[in-house]
Amino acid sequence: MENIKITRRGFLKTAVAGAGAFSLTSGLLDFQKWVHASAGAAVTSVPTICNGCGNRCGIFAHVKNGRLWKIEGNPDANGNLGVICPKGHGYLHDLYNPNRLKGPLKRVGDKFEPISWEEAYKEIAQKMNLILLANGPQSIFWVNYPQTNHAYALRLMHALGSPHYFTHGSTCFTARNAGWATTVGELPSNDLSHSRYILIVGRNPAGGIDLGQVKRIAEAKEKGAKLVVVDPRHSETAILADEWLPIKPGTDLAFLLGMINVFVKEGLYDGRFVREKTVGFEQLEEEIVNYPPEWAEKVCEIPARTIVQIAREMAKAKPKALIHRGYHGAFGSQYLNSFQTARALAIANSLLGNINREGGIYFPQSAQLGELQPDHPAPDLPEMGKADGTGVPGRYPLGSYGDGIAHAIPELALRGELKAGFVYHNNPLRTNPNPKRVIAGYKKLDLLVVIDTVLSETASIAHYVLPESFYLERTEAIDTKHSGKRAQVSLQQQAVKPLFDTRPGTQIIIELAKHLGVGKYFNFDIEEANRLRLRSLGVTLENLKKKGVLFVGEKWKEGCGKLNTPSGKVEIHSSTLEKLDFPSIPRWEEPLVSPDPKDPQSFRLLHGKQAIHTHAMTANQPYLMAISQRYDMIRLWMNRERGVRLGLKDGDWVQIKSMVGEGKIRVRLTGGIHPSCVWLPSGYGIFSKHLKTAFDMGLSYNDFLPTYFDPTVGHAMSSEIVVQVTKA
Amino acid sequence: MARYGMVIDETKCVGCHACRVACQNLNGLAEKEAYNHLEEREYGAFPNFSREFLPVQCQHCDNPPCVKVCPTRASVKLKNGVVLVEKSKCIGCKYCIAACPYNVRIIKKAGYIEKCRFCIDFIEKGEKPACMTTCMTGVRMFGDLDDPNSEISQYIIKHRLKQFKAELNTKPRIYYKKA
Repeated sequence: MENIKITRRGFLKTAVAGAGAFSLTSGLLDFQKWVHASAGAAVTSVPTICNGCGNRCGIFAHVKNGRLWKIEGNPDANGNLGVICPKGHGYLHDLYNPNRLKGPLKRVGDKFEPISWEEAYKEIAQKMNLILLANGPQSIFWVNYPQTNHAYALRLMHALGSPHYFTHGSTCFTARNAGWATTVGELPSNDLSHSRYILIVGRNPAGGIDLGQVKRIAEAKEKGAKLVVVDPRHSETAILADEWLPIKPGTDLAFLLGMINVFVKEGLYDGRFVREKTVGFEQLEEEIVNYPPEWAEKVCEIPARTIVQIAREMAKAKPKALIHRGYHGAFGSQYLNSFQTARALAIANSLLGNINREGGIYFPQSAQLGELQPDHPAPDLPEMGKADGTGVPGRYPLGSYGDGIAHAIPELALRGELKAGFVYHNNPLRTNPNPKRVIAGYKKLDLLVVIDTVLSETASIAHYVLPESFYLERTEAIDTKHSGKRAQVSLQQQAVKPLFDTRPGTQIIIELAKHLGVGKYFNFDIEEANRLRLRSLGVTLENLKKKGVLFVGEKWKEGCGKLNTPSGKVEIHSSTLEKLDFPSIPRWEEPLVSPDPKDPQSFRLLHGKQAIHTHAMTANQPYLMAISQRYDMIRLWMNRERGVRLGLKDGDWVQIKSMVGEGKIRVRLTGGIHPSCVWLPSGYGIFSKHLKTAFDMGLSYNDFLPTYFDPTVGHAMSSEIVVQVTKA
Repeated sequence: MARYGMVIDETKCVGCHACRVACQNLNGLAEKEAYNHLEEREYGAFPNFSREFLPVQCQHCDNPPCVKVCPTRASVKLKNGVVLVEKSKCIGCKYCIAACPYNVRIIKKAGYIEKCRFCIDFIEKGEKPACMTTCMTGVRMFGDLDDPNSEISQYIIKHRLKQFKAELNTKPRIYYKKA
């Protein structure tokens, strides 16, 4: 095998020759034929970034006889450091998935009919312009799981005068982000590889996979670091841990308050840091006396002596000790108390004096991409606020304006406030809570345009479906995702020519803009835009194309300067929260709902990722679904003793029922989960009949989750579910 | 001549299955064909509970039962330590599958038997096995067991590593590090 790194121009020549020698329509899709035909063939290697999840790892795509063969990790990429997860290896096969969209579609009655791109754009523009005229720009929206080109989607919405750009954030991480931002001014990162003591609360980087983090944890452990995992379930990260602390779900805040109590009472905190870099320690001292570890034990079921022991061990290792910044689990968007849990976690870290310290919590270097101005002036920002209430006092004042509250879209549609929308690389019908409500909302829209690679649940009810080229078929916007101790820029570029009548996401955005009459803001193509945005960073697009990932800017320096908070310091006491009438010092808050401890059928429903799937996006990938089935992974985890009490054996079918949904699934009885909860792997429960591999496999936690908005940021509170589980 | 072997540190495996799909891609396998698998084990009861994943693939035994039972000499033991199946000689009789105590051989659609080849075609070009290079925790180590100074030999001696089902006298060339 030869690893030839060649220029894009050279590569395209090879790809075309390969395609010519090997018929696109039959040969490339017949895998076995290709394996046989391509033995010994020359290999080209194209640096790009993976799209198997939001981490966008740096990869080299290896192409043999015009067909994608395999990918290898780019060792320069800070986010994956040369390794690749199962999703990355498996998702590339979706390029050849027979369920892919092969051209634009238009809804006619209950069916889809093929339509040309030009006709589709014309009809969408006509309908959209009528809606804009009748209802104003605030009646339209764009929602996406952010891609590298999200800036152009935002630009399109602004050009049309609408503030309604949304991400999936409100169902994922907005409580965590707001908790950190309110306390230290921004979302930091974890310096795992240099840490001597790593405490992880709810996050599972080995399952909701983050390759760079796991690699760094493994490195730290080689050097003798201790790893403690707090999680109601024995997660994949818990396998690596020195200690697994199975907490009662929804009480992570109590655990953290107990730890802070020990830090304060025993004087274990970094006194100098607290004096010089924080505000509100005195108020904390007053409040925290209410939460001794003995109290915490009663609430969270982690023994008081363990809480004391961990607090002392962490204090001894400080500042090279950290509590992981978290992601989705425990306090991303899970409970009514998630925002305050994130605050308490940020404060506990601060007491260790680890803010922007080696081996602690640090502010990553981030590449500031240049603007398209003056060559291409940006549209004005819309004047009206978001209808979902993000950032509006009295509604969701701490909500992230940039993310919005995506799971409010169905409600706003049902109220008639939103009339038309674009859904891009996102599948709200499957990934938002309470699907019946989501379906009703999205169906009420006068115009729904979905941009996707397959007929997802959401695409299945769209008026128009615009097929995006698969990630390996398209060059996209430059990205800054891999930032860490030094900033990086990366580039997703075409490795094979599109198999079908599909187009890159950015091209679709630009073409939509032109048809919608706002083309003056989009007089560029992706090549020019990438070049302009790199201009100020001292690297060339040519070099980036060759390498895939490039370092830019200065190296990270240790030390906590002026923070991006009102006081410029760590806000243990937050004046912002005080003004808004939220607790300005974290204090214990109960979860919204709790299972009935006397009812043997009553459980809290938790969920989490398996390393082999990304939301609902990869369930239909045969290589990945084969793993789910071979290892019987589409099961509900239940504590063994509680299962036995319900008359269940491992593998039995059960019925789950909540106030909004019900379904049947098989159980995995295990000692690896807290008795008060059951756990569903996320990503299953596919109900689009067009996704033939995954259709009707398993359940999604969203089927059981009512539509909730927490009062601080409006997140979905997606673990506030009580279910009844009975033998089916 | 190098005689290859592997170390698998099962304390580091989190059960992500990246090794399975990396191997499938490299070897052009179909979705249900895999040369390696994981055995998950649970210990204890809540809350004193733990679990582990044991990665298993062809052990490239020095006393390989598969080679002994093969009626056509399709299963062979090479001088470099690797056990291979010569597919042109394989008649698909499955004797080797029955004889192998590690459950690592598969029947290809075309009718012949295959299994982990230690990525030998790639090793000879200076690369490492795909299951090893994709792993985020570094579960596997690969190298020359005949060289007493190689990193892998030193590691096996230092940690006194043992083989999987060594009592069967199959003399595997994969050594396991346990908790």
